[in-house]
Amino acid sequence: MALLEVRDLHVEFDTPDGVVHAVRGLSLDVERGATLAVVGESGSGKSVATQTITGLTRGARVRGSAVFDGTELLGAPEETLRRVRGAQIGMIFQDPLSSLHPYYPVGWQVVEMIRAHDRSVSKAAARERAVELLALVGIPRARQRVDDYPHQFSGGMRQRVMIAMAVALDPALLIADEPTTALDVTVQAQVLEVMQQLQERFGTAIVIITHDLGVVADLADDVVVMYGGRAMEVAPRRELFYGPHHPYTEGLLRSLPSRGEPGARLTPVPGAPPSLIDPPAGCPFRPRCPHAFADCHDQPPLRPVPGAPGHLSACFLPTTRTAGGAPPAAAVHELQEAP
Amino acid sequence: MTTPLLALEHVTKTFPVRRAGVLRRPVDHVHAVVDVSLEVQPGETLGLVGETGCGKSTLARCITRLHDVDSGRVVLDGEDITHHSRARMRGVRRDVQMVFQDPYGSLNPRRRVGSIIGDPFVIHDVGTPAERKRSVQELMERVGLNPEHYNRFPAEFSGGQRQRIGVARALALRPRLLVCDEPVSALDVSIQAQVLNLLLDLQDEFGLTCVFISHDLSVVRHVSDRIAVMYLGRVVEVAPAAELFTRPRHPYTRALLSALPVADPDVSDSRRRIVLAGDLPTPIDPPSGCAFHTRCPRAREDCAATVPPLDPAPGDRRDHRTACLHPLADGDDLGADHPVVADSEITATDEEVPA
Repeated sequence: MALLEVRDLHVEFDTPDGVVHAVRGLSLDVERGATLAVVGESGSGKSVATQTITGLTRGARVRGSAVFDGTELLGAPEETLRRVRGAQIGMIFQDPLSSLHPYYPVGWQVVEMIRAHDRSVSKAAARERAVELLALVGIPRARQRVDDYPHQFSGGMRQRVMIAMAVALDPALLIADEPTTALDVTVQAQVLEVMQQLQERFGTAIVIITHDLGVVADLADDVVVMYGGRAMEVAPRRELFYGPHHPYTEGLLRSLPSRGEPGARLTPVPGAPPSLIDPPAGCPFRPRCPHAFADCHDQPPLRPVPGAPGHLSACFLPTTRTAGGAPPAAAVHELQEAP
Repeated sequence: MTTPLLALEHVTKTFPVRRAGVLRRPVDHVHAVVDVSLEVQPGETLGLVGETGCGKSTLARCITRLHDVDSGRVVLDGEDITHHSRARMRGVRRDVQMVFQDPYGSLNPRRRVGSIIGDPFVIHDVGTPAERKRSVQELMERVGLNPEHYNRFPAEFSGGQRQRIGVARALALRPRLLVCDEPVSALDVSIQAQVLNLLLDLQDEFGLTCVFISHDLSVVRHVSDRIAVMYLGRVVEVAPAAELFTRPRHPYTRALLSALPVADPDVSDSRRRIVLAGDLPTPIDPPSGCAFHTRCPRAREDCAATVPPLDPAPGDRRDHRTACLHPLADGDDLGADHPVVADSEITATDEEVPA
């Protein structure tokens, strides 16, 4: 059994403009010790989905199931969630400055984190542990820095403090929501390295939410591509990059500047992502999809791609693939002409 | 050789750091841009890359005279505009326009899109109101906006569309030099490609000269003819785009390239990431000599003493210049197992460092 099993998750918010269908039937598995990357553009529902799993989307209407290590998290009492959150599921967010309390020293905040889950740990012992943790994530002179305030740290160092807090209680799962988006590339490399080292050492499973396909290629074991609140494609890392099936994934890969010849025109995905207030029926990518045909007005199920274990795609296009991984154009035309 | 459209000569810009108090006397200075000399030829795109605080945006604002430089010269097509008065700059501004990073912050939310794009015509007193409206609608169409949306407010547009509005406004007066400061950084990948294509098309169509600033090396490589890498206010390396990527000479450039996540598992599996030790030093008190020596795996004693000149490394052509006393030769390795964290540590301050 996977460490985290999410099944048919739906999240809706009431807003003055109407009901926002942020997540629409998401299912995913996170295996122990593995890294799952959730990729998607703004508004694809990737952050809302993970925040809902940890009970951080108050006021949302939630359906579905999320079983973590045998415990159902959706609809669980706040007390259960508190026990799980922090202790068994650690979290890192994009902006480390707004995630840390500006008025308290970072060490105090790590101590608080430890003692909130276990009051039997003495303050002195927790402080010792805080120093250890800060050193572990690569904060130099941790013993001196433990009493410094968040503003005395740089962005990369703050993110390290966040990681120290997130792994303080040796969680089985670490959810990192765009952990390096606010950081420069050289600092990003440092932070990603720290996360990988911790994973190797403690066997922590990681869910990393990102829009950066470069980070995915570096870090992930498996990838979920989200669009319009749904999973469009699920695949092992290499399979996703070298044999994508869903036209959205292909479009995303093709629009990367690093894939094109310098100076040549890129191949963008035309149009813009759908509004989640009144999402189009059927496949959310249909309005932008070059291969769309009549059947796409019904939502395609996430079905296995033959010959590729662990590869699922929510697209009606034929799953026989050419060597290059692109769906065969001839087959597409056949489908379009079919009654 | 032709006259460069833009020449920067020893441009230096500092910002005072003031302590709280009644007099608010400056107690220190942020050295945002230090002794930068660069040239941009007509029709060329110069990419400027570097990390937060390296001075790339400040340099952009010096070029467009949104900042006054402390010393050095800004020369536009042979004309020294460094000390032009506001009135004289007005004429120059027809030729030099800027596209900003934040498509939300750079458009007035209370004004209609048509009047935002038409502002340059009004300011420079071009055409009658009817002609202006027609020009604005042509521009909107050209950048891929629906001209019928002339009367809408910025809030009714998506991020990518807003950036198109910013581009249309910058192009209204057919400038010769376009300075783009992180124009696609706030956009999603699929939208980013649309805006990059638009910029490339417009550049061909209008023969624009561009200074293109971004922290994203893959974007800069895609659009630039030449690339300048900045570190702590100085240009550390400048070279033709392809050459910079294949034969970086400065250890910082090499480290920056290796840290760039590449969306290709084969590449990320085979290469070794060079993780730089420590954080960026504060630009208030930059390290002596080569500013990179505190983090450089190749640093030797003389690096702390001498500011390296920006000159071609041995064997390089004149258009590939590196500010390093011990530049990398082809095939040189940049030290393998150095620690993730430096022993000596640098603390970021949170003084008045301009963004």
